[in-house]
Amino acid sequence: MKKHYTLKLLALLCWLLPFIVQGQTTVSGKVTDSGSGSALPGVAVVVVGTTTGTSTDVNGNYSITLPSENGRITFSFLGYVSQTVSITPAVTELNIRLVQKATSLNEVVVTGLATTVKRTNAANAVSTINTREITGITTPQTMDAAISGKLVGANVVQNSGAPGGGIAMKLRGVTSIFGNAQPLYVIDGIIVDNSSISGGLNVVTAAANQGNASNQDNASNRIADINPDDIETIEVLKGASAAAIYGSLAAAGVVIITTKRGTVGKTLVDVSQDVGFTEAAHLLGMRNFTEERVASTYLDRPELVEQFIEARDAGRLIDYEDELYGNKGMLYNTRLNISGGNEKTQFYVGGLVQDEEGIIERTGYEKKSLRFNLDHELSKRFNFSLSTNYINSIAKRGLTNNDNAGVSFGVALSSTPSFVDLFRDDSGLYPDNPFAASNFLQTRDLMTNEENTDRFLGGFTLNTNLYTTDLSSTKLVLRAGLDFYNLKTIAIFPRILQFEQNGNQGTSIQGNNYNLNTNFAAFVVNNLSVADNTLDFTTTIGATRENFNQDQVLTIATQLIGSQTNLDQSSAVTVDQTQLPVRNKGLFFQEEVNFSDRIIATAGLRLDKSSNNADVNEFVAFPKFSLALNLANFGFWTQESINMLKLRAAYGEAGGFPPFGSKYTSFSPFNIGGNPGIIVPLQRGNADIKQERQKEFETGVDIGILGDKAVLEATYYVKTVSDLILVQNVPSSTGFTTRIVNAGELRNRGVELALSSTPFDVAGFKWDSRISYWVNNSEITELNVPAFPLGGFGNTLGTFFIEEGKSATQIKGIKGDEGVVVLGDAAPDFQMNFHNFFTIKQNLTFSFLLHWKEGGDNINLTQLLTDLGGTSFDYDDDDDGDGIPNAKERTDALGVTAEPFVQDASYLRLREIGLYYTLPTSLLEGVFSGIVRQAKIGVSANNLFTITDYDSYDPEVSNFGGNGLSTGVDVTPFPSSKRYFLHLSIGF
Amino acid sequence: MKRYISTLKFKPVMAFLAIILMLPACEIDDIPDPNNPTVESVLVNATVDDLNNLVVGTEAGMRTFLATYYDDMGVIGREHYRFSSADPRFTADLLGKGSSVLDDNTFYTTNPWAGRYRVVKNTNILIASANNTTLISDEEREGYLGFAETIKAHQLLLNLTMMYEPGIRLDVDDPDNLGPFVEREAALDSIALLLDEGAGHIAAAGEEFPFTLSEGFEGFNDPAGFLQFNRALAARVAVYREEFGEALTLLEGSFLDLSTDFNKGVYYTFSASSGDLLNPVFVAPNSSGEIRIAHPSYISDIAPNDDRISKVLLRDEAASLDNLTGKYDVAVYKSNTDPIPIIRNEELILIYAEANIQTGNTLEAVKALNIIRQGHGVGPYVGLVTKEALIDEMLYQRRYSLYFEGHRWVDLRRYNRLDELPIDRPGDDVWTSFPKPFIEQAF
Repeated sequence: MKKHYTLKLLALLCWLLPFIVQGQTTVSGKVTDSGSGSALPGVAVVVVGTTTGTSTDVNGNYSITLPSENGRITFSFLGYVSQTVSITPAVTELNIRLVQKATSLNEVVVTGLATTVKRTNAANAVSTINTREITGITTPQTMDAAISGKLVGANVVQNSGAPGGGIAMKLRGVTSIFGNAQPLYVIDGIIVDNSSISGGLNVVTAAANQGNASNQDNASNRIADINPDDIETIEVLKGASAAAIYGSLAAAGVVIITTKRGTVGKTLVDVSQDVGFTEAAHLLGMRNFTEERVASTYLDRPELVEQFIEARDAGRLIDYEDELYGNKGMLYNTRLNISGGNEKTQFYVGGLVQDEEGIIERTGYEKKSLRFNLDHELSKRFNFSLSTNYINSIAKRGLTNNDNAGVSFGVALSSTPSFVDLFRDDSGLYPDNPFAASNFLQTRDLMTNEENTDRFLGGFTLNTNLYTTDLSSTKLVLRAGLDFYNLKTIAIFPRILQFEQNGNQGTSIQGNNYNLNTNFAAFVVNNLSVADNTLDFTTTIGATRENFNQDQVLTIATQLIGSQTNLDQSSAVTVDQTQLPVRNKGLFFQEEVNFSDRIIATAGLRLDKSSNNADVNEFVAFPKFSLALNLANFGFWTQESINMLKLRAAYGEAGGFPPFGSKYTSFSPFNIGGNPGIIVPLQRGNADIKQERQKEFETGVDIGILGDKAVLEATYYVKTVSDLILVQNVPSSTGFTTRIVNAGELRNRGVELALSSTPFDVAGFKWDSRISYWVNNSEITELNVPAFPLGGFGNTLGTFFIEEGKSATQIKGIKGDEGVVVLGDAAPDFQMNFHNFFTIKQNLTFSFLLHWKEGGDNINLTQLLTDLGGTSFDYDDDDDGDGIPNAKERTDALGVTAEPFVQDASYLRLREIGLYYTLPTSLLEGVFSGIVRQAKIGVSANNLFTITDYDSYDPEVSNFGGNGLSTGVDVTPFPSSKRYFLHLSIGF
Repeated sequence: MKRYISTLKFKPVMAFLAIILMLPACEIDDIPDPNNPTVESVLVNATVDDLNNLVVGTEAGMRTFLATYYDDMGVIGREHYRFSSADPRFTADLLGKGSSVLDDNTFYTTNPWAGRYRVVKNTNILIASANNTTLISDEEREGYLGFAETIKAHQLLLNLTMMYEPGIRLDVDDPDNLGPFVEREAALDSIALLLDEGAGHIAAAGEEFPFTLSEGFEGFNDPAGFLQFNRALAARVAVYREEFGEALTLLEGSFLDLSTDFNKGVYYTFSASSGDLLNPVFVAPNSSGEIRIAHPSYISDIAPNDDRISKVLLRDEAASLDNLTGKYDVAVYKSNTDPIPIIRNEELILIYAEANIQTGNTLEAVKALNIIRQGHGVGPYVGLVTKEALIDEMLYQRRYSLYFEGHRWVDLRRYNRLDELPIDRPGDDVWTSFPKPFIEQAF
């Protein structure tokens, strides 16, 4: 009770304080950008520890009166490093130059589930990209496209150019072959689902029926739903040494996304509009037919020569590739951001309306996203933050990739010559394509393949200051996250389609996927300073709980009534349901010790149990340790030019769950004659299955020179994955074909270098640059099952091959008399990127991102299909001059050697380029009399050029989607696109 | 130091304790498979419903990879071409194009093999479950055992037709301890024994089975009928074993009917119902892309007026791929729900003819062959009545009567006549056997 009196008294004093007029100090001045020197309007200027605050006007000027003689003022602005300045009565004018967060050194990085550390003290090389890099150059279509080529240490491969995204991201190499190889995504503390859920297209394409059991449906990743413009930073914990705090969920790394939040000060309203168009980045071209070529290609169909002559003479030789992929799609993006707040409450509202067409007619991507973030301080003791986001997205993705039924656009195109007529006739009917199982123009015009998502993300964190003294503070952090979505997949193939007439007579495939993830966590964090503030301890102890629920229902209706598409308008319906419930619980403990920013050491332990494990109530432990030495902070350091020299090392372990259900041996349903039946499954269960365990050691050095004008971060890591989960092929005479076992070990070693610098910073010209280099080598160090091919279409065409002592991504295939030999490796020799930002004359910014991937092979079967179909653009050329035309050379190799199909997929790509002009504030004031705070116009482009020798649409491709290691298999994908934009943004 | 420690005080400790107690203390429930029943659930005290589900699953499973099986048999036996715009191996490997050989680790070898053994596994579980339950009567148990053993024998026989040289495994009950590969002759003997054992169980199964089979077993879905089906299969095995006298005895217990009711028999059925399959070998006439084209010799070798020409259909345009051309679609099935025969009377008549030829009863053989000939609109047999000539005639009739049912390659192989098959391209080969699947070699 006594305590309450003190509190009340304190409150009273606080109330009275402003009324005690005693030696106030008024300060005024101008806030400018330290680089360009331009005025910064809207900067929050707040007296520390009070509610007194203001913000700069359009010219960057401010004036503030302190309630006391002395005090401290903080200047903060989105994208800039905040500055706090002590004020004495002597100070009346104070001009501030705010520094943009360029080298990211002053930001904090995650070290625990509830703690962070200054980047200068971090022991891990955590890759971070911020707003400027995410959306600052151009407008990415989806969240996954926003990180392509930007993260050091990551191999990000876009699966195809289909609207709505879809990527495979490997952080520091392959981490799992059959388990989850995609990183965990956490947005504002919410564990976010990133499933890639098939729309059931395999019913029509039969892609999985031969050679490879993967459905190859080319579904997008659900992380694509997030609006890139809402993101403040993306931090990537690339391996177990940093990610051990996420335990069993973290084996493939963790991507931590922090969204934008409001800052104290005037409410800022920003409206921006992008208008642009998209076109195919690279088309291959079609074969130029002549009479002789028609005759020699279609030996048994001499009548085709007549048909060719007729078409040629009538000028009816059609470039079907251009007809199919040549659409110029319009792109529209409208964004509205409102942010602001006072000392106690800050808010951010982000709205997006996106409507983009694809390079194939009737494809495209639409998204509506609304975000509301709120931070509120209830009292000195309690504060909370809330993040909410509603998203509606529609991806219309066409029908591309491999199929065994001749129905996907590219496969049908590959055997269709220019002289056939596939266009709709006057009666509205399409002719059958005599050269393929489908008329792709008809398919394109009449089919539907949509992913329609409604999603809500909500995150809530409550911080309670339990106890505070000068030396120690203890807080309780309670966090809850919720990710709910309903994904409706709609694939409709009307009865009138050529291949439906001959097959299912109309197919309507509709999926309803319900996903609800909830996660809860509670932590107690204690900060303790001893020995005159030279030694700080941060102790965290806590518990986590995650509930994942996914329920996929796929209904397939065939033999549709007329042009009806409802599932009941059919004579045959099959249904497939898969439920994926997972329950995890964890305990977490971590101790961080900081000796005067000189020695920073961390030790942590996470204990996890999960319903996914064979023994659900056994704790699995994941330790971590790290040490950073800031040599430049020691007393003996005298080298002024080197302001930072940090040696660091970290070790950690993380786990990866076996695929859901691998512990069960359960019957599959199989009916006949209207009776229900059960049959043994293809996969034999394994009741002893264990998690994969990743152990990572990384060490490195960070050097900052000339006041962080240039910062080099160099890292070496060794990452082993033991108890590697493998699908063992078992003799099928057992009745089963596979079994999931722990049977191997895999090691990745690599080097990452990142150099951030500001080569020029003079009045009127500033150049920020970041150059990164990274390389990873993998090896299967132990394999207790026979070496096996994976993720391709067998030795004849080239396949990945898991073999002890060899690279995990090697590609093998037949090669004449030599038998099955190594033909390539999908892992790049190295990758580099070049991020550059120029600010010229205060108003003009120019930036670009170059991405260079050297080496790394693909299996190019698109070329093989066009060769076999007689339509390759270089069919009759003779590149090597040996008198044998290219296509003959390549098709003759079929069954003899797979060498021609394994091709180098190096590229240098200008991923993003942007030029923006900010209208001078004086002009704005003149024209809009101060209503408009900021106005910016700009142009930008994406994938403007790609330099590559690779002979297909895009060296960046993955027929098998995101998981596993078989990226780089190319089977008539949705071609990639270029995007051009005109931007206009106005801030009030 | 003591002072600092005491600053922690009890409040955070309390909160910490609360967390430790509240959150993870509660155990995680072991979630049973939310999607399917487990195998363990039927092994002890299975109910009639459990066992009936296994019976239906067994019958349903007999149809997986049938298309691959018939393509393997038909393409090597030069009955048809399988043109695929997506997979070149149907026209390369299966026909032995150039230096291509049969691959021991690809779908055409491994898929049908695995599909049949999956059914064998299901029958083994059915046998184990039926033997380990007190919830059924003895007659019901005999019914389940008779069904399981008959189907198991049939599935093993289909794999043996592919694996002529490596043979098959017979003992596959324990997945961790598989029995050895057994050579063809011994395997055939074991299959014959298994059929006899099954027949014994069926004979003791009373008047009715406790389970329902699809309409493919119409007329054969009670113990009496199913026994005829079992004996018919045994007759087929007997001629494969060249036990021709035994074949004639077995035919007596089968549904052999020396009439033109050729299609009487047992079938795989198909439907578009949920969880069911459609006829996997049906292709609409004049399709392109994934198609089956009759081998030109089927048309050039057929006798005038033979109504079996209706098994193929002239295309609007010839189809070509990989230097192979054909003008006729395979048209044995007219819709995607047409049933596919497992064994039917026409084969039994031909087995009857063959057994009589081989046992020297040529007149009875000619009588049987004439039933076939006249049933298809060609006149009675007028050739030589010698064993050799009649074997030629019998094989010719089998080729046309059992077209696209997976027999020609097997028949020519057992008569050592694979060299009579036409070679379409220089360098093509006729294979005698599929190779032992790669995965089986290591175990």
